[in-house]
Amino acid sequence: MVDQVFQTKNGVKRMKKKTWGTMLAAVLTFSLVLAGCGSNNSNSGSGSSKTLKVWFMGTTDTVEPLAEMYEKENPGIKVEVQAIPWDSAHDKLLTAVASKNGPDVVQMGTTWIPEFAAAGALADMAPYIEKYPNLKAENFYDGAVQTGQFDGKTVGIPWYVETRSLFYRTDLLGEVGYPEGPKTWDELKDASQQLVAKGGAGHYGITIDGKDQITAAIFAWQNGSDFIDDQGQPHFNEPKYVETINYLKSFFDEKLTPSGTDLDTTTAFKDGTIPMFISGPWMIQTIKEKDPEIDGKWTVTTLPAKENNDSSIGGSDLSIFNYSNNKDEAAKFISFLSDTEAQLKYYETSNSLPALKTAWDDQAFSDPMIAAFGKQLETARPAPQIKEWETIAQAVIASFEQITVGGADTQTEMDKLNDKAKEILGK
Amino acid sequence: MAVKKIEKGVMVTLLILGGILMMVPFIWMLGSSFKPENEFTVIPPTIIPHHPTWNNYSRLFTEMDFFVYLKNTLIIVICSFVGLFLNALAGYAFAKFHFPGKNGFFYLILATMMIPGQVTMIPTYLIINKMGLVNTMAGIVLPGLVGAFGIFLFRQFMATIPTDLIEAARLDGSGEFRIFFTLILPVVKPVFAVQAILTFIGAWNSFLWPLIIANDEKLYTLSVGLSLLKGQYGTEFGLQMAGAAFMVVPIIIIFTFFQKHIIEGYTISGMK
Amino acid sequence: MREFAKQWNKNKYPYLFIAPAVLLLVVFSIVPIIIALVISFTNMDLIGLADYSNIRGVGFDNYINIFKDPVFLKALFNTLIYVVVGVPLVVICAMAVALLLNYGTSWLFKTFRVIYYMPSITNIVAVAVVWGYLYNGSYGLFNYILSWFGLPAQQWLQDPALAKYSLILLALWKAIGLNMIIFLAALQGIPRSYYEAAEIDGATGWKKLRYITIPLLSFATFFVTITTLIGWIQFFEEPFVMTKGGPLNATMSLALFIYNNGFKLSNFGYAASGSFVLFVIIILATIVQFAVRRKEVEY
Repeated sequence: MVDQVFQTKNGVKRMKKKTWGTMLAAVLTFSLVLAGCGSNNSNSGSGSSKTLKVWFMGTTDTVEPLAEMYEKENPGIKVEVQAIPWDSAHDKLLTAVASKNGPDVVQMGTTWIPEFAAAGALADMAPYIEKYPNLKAENFYDGAVQTGQFDGKTVGIPWYVETRSLFYRTDLLGEVGYPEGPKTWDELKDASQQLVAKGGAGHYGITIDGKDQITAAIFAWQNGSDFIDDQGQPHFNEPKYVETINYLKSFFDEKLTPSGTDLDTTTAFKDGTIPMFISGPWMIQTIKEKDPEIDGKWTVTTLPAKENNDSSIGGSDLSIFNYSNNKDEAAKFISFLSDTEAQLKYYETSNSLPALKTAWDDQAFSDPMIAAFGKQLETARPAPQIKEWETIAQAVIASFEQITVGGADTQTEMDKLNDKAKEILGK
Repeated sequence: MAVKKIEKGVMVTLLILGGILMMVPFIWMLGSSFKPENEFTVIPPTIIPHHPTWNNYSRLFTEMDFFVYLKNTLIIVICSFVGLFLNALAGYAFAKFHFPGKNGFFYLILATMMIPGQVTMIPTYLIINKMGLVNTMAGIVLPGLVGAFGIFLFRQFMATIPTDLIEAARLDGSGEFRIFFTLILPVVKPVFAVQAILTFIGAWNSFLWPLIIANDEKLYTLSVGLSLLKGQYGTEFGLQMAGAAFMVVPIIIIFTFFQKHIIEGYTISGMK
Repeated sequence: MREFAKQWNKNKYPYLFIAPAVLLLVVFSIVPIIIALVISFTNMDLIGLADYSNIRGVGFDNYINIFKDPVFLKALFNTLIYVVVGVPLVVICAMAVALLLNYGTSWLFKTFRVIYYMPSITNIVAVAVVWGYLYNGSYGLFNYILSWFGLPAQQWLQDPALAKYSLILLALWKAIGLNMIIFLAALQGIPRSYYEAAEIDGATGWKKLRYITIPLLSFATFFVTITTLIGWIQFFEEPFVMTKGGPLNATMSLALFIYNNGFKLSNFGYAASGSFVLFVIIILATIVQFAVRRKEVEY
């Protein structure tokens, strides 16, 4: 044994240069990598003086022009825009909260506001609203302002809005007696039945997207159901909500709506196999581009009514990350983005509807289809502003699927859902 | 001999049939990436586009920073290769040395293979943050640098190297590092190749972690870019297909080129 | 002290060799899992993550609740199906392909080696894009191919009974390449002389396969089985990108359940307890594998 150790020791001394070289190279590469990080670190924090870090969802090409405009108006300030894929944005925000290391300004999906506000990750905007009149609530749509509020505080300034309205084929609906589109729930049902009877196999009336958490909510509001009241109590198993679900279920039972979701909406709309669908403003451009064949044969109108025809409001707000050291600069940037000019520019680059009411006076919004969305926005309401909403919404989707695909009884399933919601809210 | 010919015929037929099945998604992807948008929903589907167009590819580069993403991806690939040596070193120690605590360490390493990645993500992120490595290449690369899978594989193959051979080298006066680099590494070349491929795939496809660590788009990888594309242009199949093809075709070319170095020639038994 | 120095001198090389790997694994795997273990006994959520003073210990509540959660039980069942169907399928297919590829050395075999390998190196996001379109119920290629044979169109990813198997098919396609390479490396390590000796004894192709090749592949088989097993138990990417666990949770896997609870719903404590259940399952499965292997070797 002693011999062996001795041998080895000797061996090291005699090790050839080449081997050492390889080793050294490996070690060097490794430590270089390590060193590279340390030096980089200083600018990763949110604090460095004149750089404003902004996180946006989607691709940068929509926001970059705005950042350039701002940089031109405010020399010495650099706006660093980082684009984050929508799919992973939630994960990214979570880790930023965990490390208290993130952007100065962040675009927040409206449904995420309660969750992150409850965690104290979003700064209270009150002092900045005093300072920058652009941020005042009366400038924006009511529903949009509500999305930025949590616990009586304003933590998000409306950035862009979207709502859902009814897209329909004027020609096909005209043939069944509804050239203006169905105005009530009964008309919607009747139109769908007639369209299916007329079109035969493979034809449907309308798509009802059960995977979209807002679908059931919209119809429930229209039926006068307040499925989560102001006290945070769920009412999913009460008649108004159950009635809504049964109404939607009848579309599946009578095959008025396809139950698979991979029919391409634009193509089915073009072929006339699905002559109606409920969607947001982004579809206007898509249909125009993809279905030039049916130009002039379709339009958008407000949703059919039951007790009312309320729709949902969504979109994004702008918030200041609470761990930012640049809060005042951040507020100034948000104020800039709330200007008519900036709002119109963003509409131009992204087709997202402005949250700012005065922006709508621009002639770009005189188009009747967009005007329909404008009208819908007036009575649009946000999803319940509670931090548990995301969890409940997932449970609603699962129950809806159980009923429409799994064949569960509506009342039983809704009782279960209500218990589950109570449990989630009770936590 | 006739039997042998029939046998070979059957084998080749099976091979080709299976290969075609494996190829279907690739053919579909390449074909689709040249389709104009309105050809996607044609029934029956067209495999070769009727009106081929380069439009999808040109949009990929005008609307996305795909070159930056490519550069980052390649940097991650290169950094990851450092990890290969560390894996091999550890595997060698476990295969050919006896030292106190050997089994303990080995089981510790094996146990890490069984840890589900989803749950360690936040703690790992916090550690990286404490080390000040957020928004650095090191933060992206370090957590995945070594892997239990690799160490395990190296250990198993290195165990088959006769100890006599190593002893002989020691008697000749070779040092341990020299033995590792000049004797052991050449012998395990095939495993090294397998590991290199694995490392490459891992790095090339790294997605969620780079996104979380990067606070700067300059550090985004190709996968992140493709995901941005998917989110923004969700209904535009052609653009997505072109993005997918751009991610896949280069590796296929690299592999076709280097494939003769993979598993061929050097085999474990060759040194007996 | 002298004793220690002697020990150290004797063993310094193996320690030096394993040090970087052990260090990195401890920092980035062992420490995080210990943190996660602690978290699993708390009610940690986003509010707790932002400010640690809001975290409360809840004892075993998370573990008790998770076994009452129908989605978790469904995920457990699905994962069992994935393992039972997926593992043998991958091992057998990979071995078969490796045997086919090892049969010849002409350009044809080399080309096909690349072809079989290609799916493994394909990015999962790209896979999602391409396969999502292949599986599309209305415009996808698969339903078109079915129509050639007069078969009805399938809702590959929307039908709760079928979706699981659609994902298995996709994962199989992706898994063959890598495992095939491991088999192939092992096959090429079998000395030709073994076969020559067997041929002299008059052994046919089948007999050579049965009595020489397969036994000599036993380590590779073991290795592939164990890594594939762990892979299937942690099955995540495919359902994540293709179905998000739907329809009706039919494709929900344990790993995806953990991800959903941790990252989508921010219930970190709950998610951590789920991942410990998963961790224990994997360890048990591995121990069983090792035990079976030991028995085989003895036999």
